[in-house]
Amino acid sequence: MQYIIVGIGGQGILFTSRVLGRIAIDKGLSVVGSEVHGMAQRGGSVISHFKVGDYKGPLVTEGHADVVMAFDQNEGIRNLGFLREGGTFLVNAGDPRAFENERLAKYLIDRKIDACKFAGYDILNRHMDGNALFLNVLILGAASGMKIQGFEKDNVLAALKDLAPPKHLEANLKVFELGMKAVTR
Amino acid sequence: MSKGALNKTRRALLLGNEAIAQAVVAAGCQVASAYPGTPSSEILPAIAACADRIGAPTVTEWGANEKVAFEMAFTATFTGARACAAMKQVGLNVAADPFMSGALFQLKGGMLLISADDPGPHSSQNEQDSRFFAMFAKAPCLDPSDALEAAAMVKDAYALSEKHGVIVMLRPTTRVAHCRQSIEVVESFEPGAPVKFERDPNRWTQLPALVRVAHPRHNARITAIREEFEADWSAYNYELPAKGKAKLGVIAGGVSFSMLCDLIKEWGREDIAILKIGTPYPLPNRLAEDFIARHEKVLVLEETYPVIEMQLTNRARVNGRWNDVVPSASELLPEVIEKIVLSQLGETPSKPDTSQLSAAVDELRLIPRKPQLCAGCPHRGSFFSIRKAIPSAINPSDIGCYTLGINQKGLDTSLCMGGAVTTSSGLYMAHKATGQERPIVATLGDSTFFHMGVPGLLSAVYNRHAFVLCVLDNSVTAMTGGQSHPGIGDKPRKNDRGVAMDIETTARGCGVTFVETVEPYDIDAGVNAVKRAWEYAKNNETPALVIYRHPCMLLRVPQESVPVTVEKGKCVGCRYCVDYFGCPGLSFDDGAKKTSIDARYCVSCGVCKDVCPHGAIVGRPAENQRVL
Repeated sequence: MQYIIVGIGGQGILFTSRVLGRIAIDKGLSVVGSEVHGMAQRGGSVISHFKVGDYKGPLVTEGHADVVMAFDQNEGIRNLGFLREGGTFLVNAGDPRAFENERLAKYLIDRKIDACKFAGYDILNRHMDGNALFLNVLILGAASGMKIQGFEKDNVLAALKDLAPPKHLEANLKVFELGMKAVTR
Repeated sequence: MSKGALNKTRRALLLGNEAIAQAVVAAGCQVASAYPGTPSSEILPAIAACADRIGAPTVTEWGANEKVAFEMAFTATFTGARACAAMKQVGLNVAADPFMSGALFQLKGGMLLISADDPGPHSSQNEQDSRFFAMFAKAPCLDPSDALEAAAMVKDAYALSEKHGVIVMLRPTTRVAHCRQSIEVVESFEPGAPVKFERDPNRWTQLPALVRVAHPRHNARITAIREEFEADWSAYNYELPAKGKAKLGVIAGGVSFSMLCDLIKEWGREDIAILKIGTPYPLPNRLAEDFIARHEKVLVLEETYPVIEMQLTNRARVNGRWNDVVPSASELLPEVIEKIVLSQLGETPSKPDTSQLSAAVDELRLIPRKPQLCAGCPHRGSFFSIRKAIPSAINPSDIGCYTLGINQKGLDTSLCMGGAVTTSSGLYMAHKATGQERPIVATLGDSTFFHMGVPGLLSAVYNRHAFVLCVLDNSVTAMTGGQSHPGIGDKPRKNDRGVAMDIETTARGCGVTFVETVEPYDIDAGVNAVKRAWEYAKNNETPALVIYRHPCMLLRVPQESVPVTVEKGKCVGCRYCVDYFGCPGLSFDDGAKKTSIDARYCVSCGVCKDVCPHGAIVGRPAENQRVL
């Protein structure tokens, strides 16, 4: 499985790839990926590559990702070229109008992309006092809800208990459920 | 650990730098030093964390700059101790002096130099190749293709260093340093070497007469090491023969090798052979030339300079950078490698048609987001008041988060660490030569001040250069992820306390007579301080110092919450706040021509209240205070 996780520096992308990695390691799978640190991390476009299985290089080749997870809609659309035909696109959609763009709609259909949009910030505004720091856990919940390989519910919850500060555990569990419900099919 | 004991090894998802760091501790490194710089920054903190965890005695310290860090580690080896210095590629420029001369020494303890390169670049001011620097200094260089290999190389680097008495360089690139890989966690360490300094001035000095002996001796060592790389380093230098008849042979080093392996697997091809080189300097020439002789067509893939390529004695049948087959700038991303390799085979990549997607991205005007200062970042207020105080001033700046002040139109130049001070001097001297006067207000950070700001400041006081130097003191080395420095006094290892140096005292010690400290959130105070400082500098022909002091947002120090809102009636849509203050918490609606507060990012620092010329940004009653 090859994953691309995109967004804006500060949205908690690195944490998501750590969860993904922890789950893979617990299953005894090999993991290699690439993160962004330093200047590029400061509020700019951020992209994490993540490969689970028998790989050597840390980067995903364009057109070969099984999943693109987007913390930010614009970053997600810009990086859709990474997704293989029939891949899954999970996106925190801020402005649904973008998806009315005819060419984008056609591209998603032609490439048989399974696009799942959820309004992450709306959900956090309604249920979490607008605290945007929970976006990463919300997306983990959505990935579980989408039944994306590597994000099985029990495994994600175990990784969260392990990796997130205990004082946020209760809130994280709540947000995770919100994420699952936002997309569950 | 008893042999044969059933030890269940623990694997963890480690950053490349963490994998390198734990290997350094495991190898019995006794002295480790570094100055932070992306992509090397995590190495030293990870050495400290690993040493704390398994009880290793590694003395782990930040140097004020890379030269200091290198020299502390390097000279520790004179006693027989094993040492390690880590830095980023441009940091090695700062440490070039001791590195170039030190390479000729006959060392006693093992010396590992880790110089992390940044092809791309992602977070650097250039794309220089440290392997080239190793070749320049004649220091053996190891080029890992992933984190696992980087960690393995550490142990062998120490063995090589101690066998021959040489400095060994490990050169990870960003994709190794910042890759994540499942790696066995280190639980034990080798005992360090006995430490004893024996007086031997002929060994530990570099008088010309001694260099005339040392240099040929060193050349002989390099010849011997080249022979070892030819024969005994097959763990890092090896061939992956094509399964079928090879149409192309590729000599590959570093991450390019890993990428190529994945691509060949993805393509399911059997007509490409690889010679993997993990020891680019000195190049095992026979391995390379034998491989070349056996293949009709050969390609060299390495980052970023043609280091392997240039050492080949005959490039007639080799394609690479010398004939522009491989691009001479930027990263060799998998798409780039794919295109080069397939074109060598006379093919073109069969890529899906993404024209609809590109058109959609254009129509939706989706452009990459530039890095920017965080919401609430004190630098934003500092730049705003500096610009407001003297709009006609030239604003030299430096290397750090504040380079992002370019978005606030707050800086005119940025060259290298400490360059803000000396750029101010250079500009002052140029204007002086023609009898002109132009205000100069420079900015640099607290860590940068100690790194290389001080020598420039001494020079400026000595030579009577009039300018204002603003130290943007956020009490941390921020851009690289929050490391300590001499102004803070914290040290990487637990229970190891340093002494915090005060910027004001240090500046006064350099002969600066005007020093004022202001709160960057207070725009008026900043404006007044800069104006006073310039008057003083001009009238006394001397640099004047303004310290803007407020902790970095990433330190999460609790602070007063000043929630703000925009009074729509007063906002005239002039864009002044977004163009000159440019906070992620301010969002501008192009349709309505109004600014609003973006609650996703706003941290209620309240500084923007003093920015709007029309008074449209105002305080609002505090609600539940958000925990940062």
